[in-house]
Amino acid sequence: MREAVAGTALSDPDFNTLALQIFAYQYEYNIPYRNFCNSHGSTPDNLSHWHGIPALPTDAFKNESFPPSTFPVENAHKTFLTSGTSSEVRGKHHFASTNIYDQSIISAWQTLQLPNPEHAVFLIAPPEQSPDSSLSHMMGVIAGQLAEQSTWIMSHSGSLDLEKMLSVADKGKPVALFGTALSFLHLFDSIKNPICLPPGSWAMETGGYKGTRHQLTKTELYEKFKTKLKLDPGSIINEYSMTELSSQFYTSSLRQPHRGPSWTRVRVIDPLTNTDSKPGEPGHLIIYDLANLDSVMAIRTQDLAICNETNLEQEPSSFSLIGRDPSALPRGCSRSSDEILSP
Amino acid sequence: MSSTKDRIQQIAETYAQDELSKWTGSFSRDDLHHWLSTELGSDTALDQYQPHGPLQSKAVAPANILHIVSGNTAHAAHQSLLRGLILGSHNVVKIPSAGLPDFTDSLDQFPEELRKRIEVHRELSDEHWSKADAVVAIGSDESIATIHQKLRADQTFIPHMHKVSLGVVYEDFGPAARLAARDISLYNQQGCLSLHAVYVSGDSKAFASALAEEMAAFARENPADTLNTSEAGAIRNTRENARFCSANDQQTQLWESEDSLEWTVIHEPSPKLKLSCLNRCVYVKPLPTQFDTSTLGPQSQHLSTIALHPFNRANALKLEQLPAHRICPLGQSQQPSLYWHHDGFTPLASLVKWKDIG
Repeated sequence: MREAVAGTALSDPDFNTLALQIFAYQYEYNIPYRNFCNSHGSTPDNLSHWHGIPALPTDAFKNESFPPSTFPVENAHKTFLTSGTSSEVRGKHHFASTNIYDQSIISAWQTLQLPNPEHAVFLIAPPEQSPDSSLSHMMGVIAGQLAEQSTWIMSHSGSLDLEKMLSVADKGKPVALFGTALSFLHLFDSIKNPICLPPGSWAMETGGYKGTRHQLTKTELYEKFKTKLKLDPGSIINEYSMTELSSQFYTSSLRQPHRGPSWTRVRVIDPLTNTDSKPGEPGHLIIYDLANLDSVMAIRTQDLAICNETNLEQEPSSFSLIGRDPSALPRGCSRSSDEILSP
Repeated sequence: MSSTKDRIQQIAETYAQDELSKWTGSFSRDDLHHWLSTELGSDTALDQYQPHGPLQSKAVAPANILHIVSGNTAHAAHQSLLRGLILGSHNVVKIPSAGLPDFTDSLDQFPEELRKRIEVHRELSDEHWSKADAVVAIGSDESIATIHQKLRADQTFIPHMHKVSLGVVYEDFGPAARLAARDISLYNQQGCLSLHAVYVSGDSKAFASALAEEMAAFARENPADTLNTSEAGAIRNTRENARFCSANDQQTQLWESEDSLEWTVIHEPSPKLKLSCLNRCVYVKPLPTQFDTSTLGPQSQHLSTIALHPFNRANALKLEQLPAHRICPLGQSQQPSLYWHHDGFTPLASLVKWKDIG
C-alpha cells in the first residue's frame, strides 16, 4: 500500500488487485464491516472486482458500540471527528498510524500537479489547537512538508487576524491562502477595501456551510474572491474530502471535475436502481480510497455527483460534484418555504 | 356575500366537492356553524355584537391574511385558506417558487364569489407584507424566525414550525400494525402529521414484523409516488446504515421492500426520536418506562401528534406530559378534526380581534 501511495500510477488491473487484497484484509480484521459485508452476501471469496466491495455509509462512523476499524480503537494513534454541534453525534475515524494518511496528502498534491505554496496562510485552526480535525491535520502536513513558510491567522476564539495576513502579503512573495468556504466568508467580511495579493498568489477552499445560514453558490463565492482579493476562479483550488476518507480530490476554477490520486476510484450510483448512473446523469458518490487502510476503503457518501464518458474511460478517479444531497439534511414537514430566507 | 351565514353556505357547498374535501376532510354547513360558535362563542359573532360579561363584543376578522405555505403537501395550504374564507378575509397565499400544483389546480373548483378572495403568488411584494393584518406561516424554525422579523408589532402572527409525529402502541398488534401502516404511508410522510416512529409496549420486534407486512399490503393497494434521485438516495443511505447496525446488533433489524424502495421498517433499541428519511420509512422502538422529552431527545420538542392504540382517555392522559398538542387514535393521525387546535392555536379565534361596547 505504501508503494501505491508513493505516487506510482495504478493501472486498473493493479488497482483491482490491490483493492481486493485490502478488502480481504479489512474483511478479516474489521469485524463490524465484515458483518455488514456478510449481510450483503459479499466476501473475499466471491468477489473478483472492486465494484462489488460493499460501500459503508458515512453514518456508520457515528457508531460508538461497533466502530468500523481494523484495530482496537483504544490503540488509536489519532482519531478525527466529523464536524457537528455538541448536541449532534459526531462520526469518529480512528487511525493506528497517520503515516499513509500523511503520505497520501503529499503524493496526491504532487501527482495531481498542484502548486507548491511559497508562503502559506491558513485561515484554519492549527492541528495543536484542533487535534480532532482532519482538515487541521491536513493543513499541518502541508505546512510541514510542502510550504516554504507558513502563517496561521485564526485565533483560539476563531477570529481571523487580517493584519497578519496583510503583513505576509506585503513581503511581495506569492501567497497561498488555505481555508474553508466559511472562513473565507469571514475574511471577506473583514476586508473593507479590496486587497491586491502579490502576483502568483492563489487560494484553496474546502467544505460547505453546514450548520450555518450561509448558502452561497460556488459562483457567488468565487465572485467574492475576485472582488475582495482580486483572485480569478483559475487561481482558486477546491478540495473535496471528508473525515471518513484518507485521500483528497481537487478541482480548479468553476465547473471543472474533481480529480483524485490513482489509489482512488469513484462510482456514481443511481439510488433508484442501485446501479451505476448513466454518463451525465446525477447520482450518489461512492469513493474507493485504498489509503483508508485502517477502516473501510469503500465509502458511500451523501453527495450528488456526475460522471461523464471521459471520467469513466480515462479518469476513473474523477467526478463532477453537484453538492450535498438536500435529503441528507434532517427534514420535518416544512421544507420549501425556506426560500423565504433569501433576500 | 354580506353575512357569515351566506358565506358558510357557499363554503360548505364548495368544499363538498371531493377535489377539495380530500384536503380538508368532509364537513357540512352545520359543522361550520358549530365550529364558529365553539371558537367565537356564537356563529354570528362576526356580524353582530354579542353579550360578553358586562360588555357587548363583536369579532373583527383580519381584512387581509397572508398564508405562507410549504411545498410538502397541499393540506396545510387548504386548511389555512378554509379558515380565512370562513372569516371572510381576503387571502394571499404564498406558495413555494417550485409551485404547489395540488393547491393551485384545485382553485378552479371555487365559485367566483370565493375565488376573488384568493390570490396566489410565488413571490411577495412589499405591499403584500404591509397589507397583511395576519400572517400564517408554515416553515422551518429558521424560516419562521426570519418571517417574524419582517412583521410589524400590530400584525397577528400564527407560526407553524418544524413538526414531527409518532405512534404509541400498547397492545393489539394486528389491528395496530394496519392502522399504523396507514398513518405512516398516507401522503408518503410529507406532512406534519405523518408518523416517523412507533413506540411499542411489549415485543416491539414482533410489532415491527407485523408492521412490515401491513406496509407491504398498503403499498400494494396504494403504490407510493415516484421518487426523485435525492429521495431515493436518502432511503438507500438509511437502509445501508440500518443494515450495518443490524449486522452488529441483534436489537436492530431491518425490513425492506424487495427490489424497490416502497417501504422500510427499522427496529431500533434506542428510545431517541429520530427523523425518518420520509417516503414510507419508519422506526419502531420499545416504549421506554420513562417516556418523556429527556429520553426521546431534542426532536420531541417538535411533536405535533401522538397516534395512540388502543385509544382511550386513560392511555391518552399517560402521554399528556409530552409537548404534542394532539393525541388521537392510531389510524387517524392524518385526518385531524375541524376543531383541532393546530399546533396549539385556535384556528379561527387566534386570527380575530374584538370590538367592545359598554
